[in-house]
This record gives sequence, C-alpha cells and structure tokens, in this order.
Amino acid sequence: MKSKNETGPLPGYFGEFGGRYVAEVLRGPLEELDAALGLLDRDMEFWKLLGRIREEYIGRPTPLLFAENSTRALGGARLFIKLEGLANTGAHKVNNAIGQALLAQRMGKSRIIAETGAGQHGLATAAICAKLGLECTIYMGEVDIARQRPNVFMMELFGARVVPVTSGSRTLKDAVNEALRDWAASSADTHYIIGSALGPSPYPEMVHRFQSVVGKETESQLHDRGLEPHVLVACVGGGSNAIGFFSPWLERDVPRLVGVEAGGRGVGRGDHAARMNGLGVPGIVQGYKSLFLLDGDGQVQETHSVSAGLDYPGIGPQLAALGTAGRVEFARATDRQALEAVSFFARHEGVVFALESAHGGYQAMELARTLSPDQVVVVNMSGRGDKDLFITARELTPGPWRRFLLDEAAAIPAPAEAEE
Amino acid sequence: MKATRKPMPIMAHMIPFFPDLPRSHRVARALIDGGARYLEIQFPYSDPTADGPDIQGAGAQALARGFTVRAGWDFIASLREGDGSPEQTPLFVMGYAGLVFAHGIDRFVARAAELGVEGVIVPDLPLDSDEGLLEAGARHGVNIVPVIALGAAPHRVALVHEARTRYIYASLRRGITGSHTDIGEENIAFMEELGSRGARVLAGFGVATAEQVRAVTGHAHAAVVGSAFVRALRALEQEADNAKADPADHDPDPYGRVRALVERLTGLEARNGPD
Repeated sequence: MKSKNETGPLPGYFGEFGGRYVAEVLRGPLEELDAALGLLDRDMEFWKLLGRIREEYIGRPTPLLFAENSTRALGGARLFIKLEGLANTGAHKVNNAIGQALLAQRMGKSRIIAETGAGQHGLATAAICAKLGLECTIYMGEVDIARQRPNVFMMELFGARVVPVTSGSRTLKDAVNEALRDWAASSADTHYIIGSALGPSPYPEMVHRFQSVVGKETESQLHDRGLEPHVLVACVGGGSNAIGFFSPWLERDVPRLVGVEAGGRGVGRGDHAARMNGLGVPGIVQGYKSLFLLDGDGQVQETHSVSAGLDYPGIGPQLAALGTAGRVEFARATDRQALEAVSFFARHEGVVFALESAHGGYQAMELARTLSPDQVVVVNMSGRGDKDLFITARELTPGPWRRFLLDEAAAIPAPAEAEE
Repeated sequence: MKATRKPMPIMAHMIPFFPDLPRSHRVARALIDGGARYLEIQFPYSDPTADGPDIQGAGAQALARGFTVRAGWDFIASLREGDGSPEQTPLFVMGYAGLVFAHGIDRFVARAAELGVEGVIVPDLPLDSDEGLLEAGARHGVNIVPVIALGAAPHRVALVHEARTRYIYASLRRGITGSHTDIGEENIAFMEELGSRGARVLAGFGVATAEQVRAVTGHAHAAVVGSAFVRALRALEQEADNAKADPADHDPDPYGRVRALVERLTGLEARNGPD
C-alpha cells in the first residue's frame, strides 16, 4: 500500500533518503493518504477543479520575466526570473496548499492543520481554507509569532486559529512536531498539510507533484520563446519550490540545476541553515531520512537565517539524494548577500524578491556575471518580498524605519483606553 | 520495608537528568525500591514527535540540564552498580530514531548489551524500516521491543507477531495528547491479541492510577506508567519553588514522593486492605 515512486529503489525512498519513520499512531493516517493519492491519477474532476482554481484564484500561469536591465548590468548570461511570487498569497506555497486541501475534501476531512515558520505556508493554507470552507488550525512557534506578526494577523483575518508552540526552540521544527501530535489524535476528520517536500512518505512525493506546476510552466514559457535554459536556480529550505521548479529536468543531464541554501552569518554551528556540501549529516528526523544539521550528540541543531522560510535543519529527501548524486549542485548565500539581491532586483527590475528567494537571486547574479551572453539563467522568485518589509526596512534603512514604527505605536491608543 | 504481597507489575518510565542528574538518580532508586517491575529509561531528544506534552517538557529540561547519550549510559551503569536487590530490576532504554541512528544503531545496541539492558524501544523505527535494529538486537543479545498502537491495521499487528519478539510495547491510545485512557473492551481485546502468541505485552499511555494498572495487568504482562511520574516531579518542584524563602534553598529529594506513588500504583500501599 505504499505510494509509487520511480526514482528510488524502495517505495517512498529517493536513493538512500526518504522513508516513513513514524510511530505507529501516525501509520494509519499516512496509509489513508497513500490510498487517496492512488485514486488521484484517474480523478479527472480533481485535476479539472485544481486547474480552474489555479487559473482563477492563484493567477496562474505566473509570468516569466526577461530581466533585461539586470542582464545588462551584470554583463553576462541572459537572466530570466520566474515571478512565482505573484501567485495569490505571495508565494509558491499556495500550489501545494490548494492541492492538499482539495485532496482532503476528497477524503472527507473537514478540518485542516498546518505548521508554519515565516507564515507563508500558514497564510496560503488559511486562505484556501477560507475559500473552501474548511476549519483551519495553524501551529506556529512562539518565536516566529513574535517576529512575523503581520502574517499572524493575515491568518486570523482568514479565520484560522493560530496556536503558539512553546516547546523546543519554539520555531518551525517544533511547529511540525506539534502538528504531528495533533494529527495523531485527530486524523479521523483532519488532514495535515505539510508545507514543504519533506516529512514521512508520501509527503515529499505529493508536495513535489503539486509544485511541479512551476517547472512545467517555466519549461513551456521558455519553449514559447525558443529558449534553452543553461542554468536553473532556486533557493532551498525544505526545498519545495526548488523541486517543483526543477521537476521537468530532473531526469535529464541538462540544464545545470543549482539549489541555494541559507549561509546565514557564516559556517559556524548555529549560524546557518545549509545542509549540503558536507555541513549536514545523515539522520532520521520528523519521519524521514535525509541530511540534517545535528550537534555532536545527535540532537537537532538550532539554525539561523535572516529568512525564516529557510531557517530549518533538514532538507527534503529527494533534493538530498539529487545533491548526493550530483544532479543538483548546491551553493550558499549569506544573509547579507540575500539583502543585496533584494536591493539589486528592486532597483533594476522593479521586482521585490522574498528574502528566501533572494538567496537564489544572489546566486543567479553571480552566474549571470560569469556565463556568456548566449547562455540563459532562470531563477525562481518563489515568493515576493512584501512580507519581509519589517526585516528589510530595518536592515536597509534602520533610522527612518525606527522613527516610523515609534510614531505608529504612539498613534495607537492602548487597548484599554480605546475601549473607554 | 517492602510488603510481602506481590506488587502489580508496572514498567515505570523516567528520564535521566530530569529534574536534574542527582535527583534523577533518586527517582530511579525510589522506583526500584518501590517495587517497579521494570524501568523504562528514556533518552531525551530534541524532536520527540510521539511524546505527550508532559514527557516532552521533561525531556527538554533534561537536555537543558546536560543530558548526553554518554551520560545516559553512565546513568545506567551506576544504576546497575547501585542495585542491591537480589533480582536486578530489568532496564529498558527508549530513544527516538534520530538519536539512535545518529549514534549508529549497532553501536547503540552494543552499548546497551554491555550494560545488561533488557530491551531497547525505538517507537519511530517500525519493523519494516528499522535500519537493522532487530538484527542488531539479535547480534548483541538485547530484546528489541516493537511498539504498536491501538487501532493499528491488522497487517501492522501481523508484522509485530512475525517478529517473534519477547516483548511488545502497546500504546493503548490512538493519539498522543490527552489525559485519561479507558481500559475498555477494545483495549482489552487489543492486549489479549498481542499476547496471544506468548509475547510479554507492556501496555500503557495515559495509565496513571492503581485502578488502571489493575485493569491493564489483568490482560498484559505489565502496565507502563510514564507521565504520572513526570507530573508528580513537576508538582514537587512547583511546591518547592512556592515554599522557598531563599532561592538558594536546596531542592527537595524526590525519593519519598516517587516511592509513595509507585507503591500506590502497584497496590502495595493498600496492604491492610482486603485479600
């Protein structure tokens, strides 16, 4: 009853990575999900409905922009940007959230739970639950709630219940643990929408499938313009935007596929969230085997990135396998470099990258500089940067931003006074 | 001081370094002296996906107080040395896949064997993808204890039977969170089925009273009691904090409280009662 997967020797595996390492309480819900996924191939109604929502609600296809000014400024390869961040709710996350929410409805579930770090996946999930009329609970680390207040507000605006997670490091990975716990008790009426291409099988392959729309679109948009890509670049936290973006080319030898991880403040322990190129070690965490950042005693290490969406200790198992096999190359961009890319593309293209996606953006700039003008580099701007206003404005213009916030705070009466 | 009556068999759960190292030694002592049939010693882990909130919190505290896997083995070694009872209390080590895998499954099991550990429990290494755990157990002479949960599909239960292990760990509840577990018909049938081929069934999750222990041990080899001890230790800490005039006052010895609880759970305390 395991899900199908052609790339690995065993069902649910990608090379040595993946699998389903869960306590028995979670086995039943995962097998139920396998069964539901097995029915999807022949469920034409499902794909028709998903296609309509993609067009009417997400706003697909998202554009492929020729970054003409950037290309000229960088002086090398022609640079294209897949503007995935123009998707409704601001990032690629919605592709997966909608696919899984529709699947949940097919399975007769009336309640959705999800974890979120930066809030993008939680926001996409809350939005689609509002649209489909599903009850929605979002688990979010207390630390993330504190630093992502705007997204908490949005989720609540969509009618979701946002539950603060106070265990562990009180960030994304702890929110995953809490959601798994909820699901173990509630799976009779509840579906858990994991936000990235990781977790126990069948999540990695399911999320990949729902995100592959990004790559398929890009392929046909390039084809329409008679272009052959030489390098594709995407940021990698868990890796759902990257795996979806790379999807059509995974079984081919070209183009080069480059994943960019969070280099944070440096390569010291706890200073970054990069698992590839020797920084991570094989481990089994949160139900799947992959490469993780662990401390010397095997405990999961705390990570750092300016972008909350990349601030996670594990990488999706399929990307780990593709990286180990050499099909996908991995690079790192630091916090500073990501901010530099945000400024660069804002200035040259009138496009604001999310901090996560800007890690890919920085690497794309580097590649465009060094490759020749007859070559084509495509970077996935998986999210747009509006959500990062409170981080980028503080970093780039601290003085005026501080004054603005102080004035804003002063203008709001304390709640007790407001009621009087 | 022990009553002559036979205590009801429980497997008492504890975490080294909770509330801290010295007091966790006292907890272990109290559990053994109080008549626990088995000890389940959990090695805490940063991401314990199948722990309820009480045990998760205790594990996090133990990590903050300095637990390491090496210190965990040292804890077990000193427990072995300090156990003067004629029949040493069998010890089980419980840990999550993440921790066991990171230390090397074979090495982990080998170390358990060296220290005379009776069994190793890894709830998220199921038998069909156990990374060689069962084989390592056979190689080193340590029981690997598969975990199965109420409501598991028949093919999962069959997998456990086929492994022919000496012990089976049964979770009597479908979920992880929540407080009380009713020992009703469904649970009784589950325990009987698991024990039907001769395996010793260790059954628990939400078992916290002598009545529950009695109900479980009527149908299983032993009742697992976990968060009840964690909660008792938490309560003791809370009381001590409230009573402290000076923060430098010593933390109380948990021995008395824990021993009383074990005796209550195993029915020893009611030695003046009928039968």
